[in-house]
Amino acid sequence: MTLAVTTSFLADLLGGPRPAEWDELREDAEARLAGRDLPTTSDEDWKYTDLKALAALSFVPAPRTTVDISGHLLPEMVGTRQVFVNGHHAPHASCASAVPAGVRFLPLSTASEACHSLGSLENGPEKDFFEDLNTARFEDGAVLLVPKNMKVALPLHLLFITKAETPVAVFPRLMVVLERGAELELVEEHHGTGTYLTCPVVEVQVGEGAILRHERVQRDSEDAFHIGTLKAEVAKGGQYHSRTISFGARLSRQQPWVRLAEGAEATLDGLALLDGNQVADTHSFLHHAEPKATSHQLHKCIVDGKARAIFSGKIRVAPRAQGTDARQQSRNLLLSEAARVDTKPQLDIYADDVKCSHGATVGQLDPEELFYLESRGLNADDARNLLTYGFAADVLRHIPVASLRRALRQLVMARTQAGSLGDLA
Amino acid sequence: MLSIKNLTASINGTPVLKGIDLEIKAGEIHAIMGPNGSGKSTLGKVLVGHPAYEVTGGEVLYEGKNLFDLEPDARARAGIFMGFQHPIEVPGVSNASFLRLAYNKKAEAEGRDELDPLEFDDFIHEKIKLVAMKEEFLDRSLNEGFSGGEKKRNEILQMAVLEPKFAILDELDSGLDIDALRVLGDAVNKLQRADRALLIITHFPRILETIQPQFVHVLSGGRILKSAGKELAIELEERGYDWVLEEAATGGVR
Repeated sequence: MTLAVTTSFLADLLGGPRPAEWDELREDAEARLAGRDLPTTSDEDWKYTDLKALAALSFVPAPRTTVDISGHLLPEMVGTRQVFVNGHHAPHASCASAVPAGVRFLPLSTASEACHSLGSLENGPEKDFFEDLNTARFEDGAVLLVPKNMKVALPLHLLFITKAETPVAVFPRLMVVLERGAELELVEEHHGTGTYLTCPVVEVQVGEGAILRHERVQRDSEDAFHIGTLKAEVAKGGQYHSRTISFGARLSRQQPWVRLAEGAEATLDGLALLDGNQVADTHSFLHHAEPKATSHQLHKCIVDGKARAIFSGKIRVAPRAQGTDARQQSRNLLLSEAARVDTKPQLDIYADDVKCSHGATVGQLDPEELFYLESRGLNADDARNLLTYGFAADVLRHIPVASLRRALRQLVMARTQAGSLGDLA
Repeated sequence: MLSIKNLTASINGTPVLKGIDLEIKAGEIHAIMGPNGSGKSTLGKVLVGHPAYEVTGGEVLYEGKNLFDLEPDARARAGIFMGFQHPIEVPGVSNASFLRLAYNKKAEAEGRDELDPLEFDDFIHEKIKLVAMKEEFLDRSLNEGFSGGEKKRNEILQMAVLEPKFAILDELDSGLDIDALRVLGDAVNKLQRADRALLIITHFPRILETIQPQFVHVLSGGRILKSAGKELAIELEERGYDWVLEEAATGGVR
């Protein structure tokens, strides 16, 4: 087939053969892409996030390769992991022997019969450029199905690793379906080396009364671009609790979209630790579509060097969503003169009986907190480092997987110079 | 131990302390009482070096040395402690980690051995008994979501961990019920020794029934208007502060 591709960026990515299966889905995505181009800062949604550096590079689809994953294993998840390297399933690195019977936790490539609902979230938002790129070219991905009323005791682990010798693009894909009353903890991690573009697309369906706890860790290479889309639909009385930790990438953007049915609950927490010239952008959309749903969002950024954080948090309360309770907080700590934060909460409320609150702070450490610690004998540097660590660790403390919580705290300690204070993790 | 001479201080250019003289010796317990807004808390905060206050005159000697040569953290490591009226909440830092850090910084300054997490665990479990604190408060973030009373309990726990030579307790009784006040008062009494001194800042005399001072001073308008023994606290309980203020205004000295 021929494709009316206008830019070399798209030509490089879409020029090659289309991966197997999902032809219809891919054709639709390609058709939408044909008339489009990389977003620019004149697009309202991309006003603060400049993709010029991305556009200047040429990416090709990532080849198959192997990596050593020993440094990424978590003891709680020895037999419950699926690993994808450069977008391809890595069977030898994966081990799903401890996944309980009945739970489907497989690569898409071997589970196609179970994945008819891929890309079919009914009420999803308009498809984004990078989501369409993923749909057009993903090679493989993971599918995770938890049957009715099954409460999975062990956390499941998904590792997406990219190894780039030359600039490559990878399109991780994940579909998670929890049937009515099911419960699951899922850890999704992104790591990598070299220069690459990764555009993960995660689709989540939480059934009636089901509970999904989703920890997301982005530790991509310092030369990477990570532009991720997450779409979650939470059915009546269901709960979706996610926490996205962004440490890596030269430029990262998270685009979570969550739709809540009646009485559903969502947590959409985030933490970004940025330094150098890093850019981290979060554009979230919480849709209270039906009555009596609850959402909590705490988004924190620590920005040092010349780094830049962007937060745009939309909350939409539909006319019939009476009894909505929505809380959003964007808190940002600037550690240098050149660091920058743009934060924009946005509440669109069309119902009258609702509790909605939002707040945004951008600033330095609180002098009263610093003094309190100094009055207990900590010198000014130690007090600053401890408070900076605490600012970040606050987001990590409810992570249920102990080894992950500890590893992330240690990473935060290293990044906030709190390492000299001894083991706080 | 502490010698305050004609101390004046201001906040945002407004004088708050207008010439304080006070002599505190090892083994003594002093109480500073006075109406709200009299400068009681300011005196405490100036002594521990709160950055909002500017010392504009006078001097304070601590163990013979100029107190104001020391930064707030150095004062703490030199044995000065203030239990605050409104302790700050610090999310993300566990109470136990913070206490261990504070303990070890002081131990390091004094050339004593630091405690590793396991050793500190034993140490702190003895200390929480003293203030009847539940163990769960060690794992929680420092003061975060603590009730007023729990925060005060945590202040006294910090005092018990740091064992200061000179402690200032600002409105310890606010937010405390009778039982908690008795427990914390007893804890403070156990920590008081012949080589240590205490300065109790309080609006209400109630706390002085448990922590009994030898000296009571009435502070108002940034000056000490009257100093006497502990019987003054009883008189203030019965008669309030107005008579002291009136007496001072008419230049009367009893």
